[in-house]
Amino acid sequence: MAKSFRCSPTPHRRWPPCVPDIDANPIRLRFAGTPRGFEQAFLQLRGALDREETKPGVRARYNIELVFEEIIGNIVRYGAPPGGELRVAVSVEINNDGIAVTFEDDGIPFNPCSRSDAANLRTLAEPAEGGFGLKLVHRVASSMRYERTADLNRLVVTLPVL
Amino acid sequence: MVDVALVGRLDTPGVAGIELRFTATLVPRAARAVIDMSQVEFIGSMGIRMFISVARALSKKQGKLVLYKPQPMVEEVFNTVALGEIISVQPDAASALAAVRS
Repeated sequence: MAKSFRCSPTPHRRWPPCVPDIDANPIRLRFAGTPRGFEQAFLQLRGALDREETKPGVRARYNIELVFEEIIGNIVRYGAPPGGELRVAVSVEINNDGIAVTFEDDGIPFNPCSRSDAANLRTLAEPAEGGFGLKLVHRVASSMRYERTADLNRLVVTLPVL
Repeated sequence: MVDVALVGRLDTPGVAGIELRFTATLVPRAARAVIDMSQVEFIGSMGIRMFISVARALSKKQGKLVLYKPQPMVEEVFNTVALGEIISVQPDAASALAAVRS
């Protein structure tokens, strides 16, 4: 069940807010690690990318969204401690040299860089135990760096501009 | 034979919005189904998982799922996970119809 947060008259300085908190240049989002927070933050991210001055190309744009989808999807589905809540922060920095997407969450420790890719299925009869998401992230990323500091997971995924 | 056109995004919210109806439309009737992907602008692992789940359920009932005409970036995602090894992915409607009847 989605957790709910009371709306504040000035939600922009509350964390977690009932709607994603967003800044531009670089794009920064903060939201509750719930399915609803995920959905709203995804809409905010896409809107911010539409407005971004340094417009990413079609491939780069897709890959930013793909990395967001897979990493946040994992955090929301698996990251919350038992009975606990999750807070998530994402930043997207686009410049001529590359794109850096940074994820921070206060969920259980998880290093996406250390997980091996799922094997591809050869028949439909084989069980699909997931792992496609991280496989996709590893495929498009130029680099991935993870650290666990002060009860936060921090992951930086870099992507090519083109 | 069932022809379904999907429109929009197969990200986590998009899949959550259609998975039940998509599955209920195809699986109970053991459909031989062709899925027009030309208007799907985004797919992630949850969309892949949905297609595998439906294709597996159909294959157990002698049904079949064929996808056709994915947009280039969607096709790259298919290729990364080698989806074509287990689900037929065709370039156009005509080849999809041929594949679903085979």
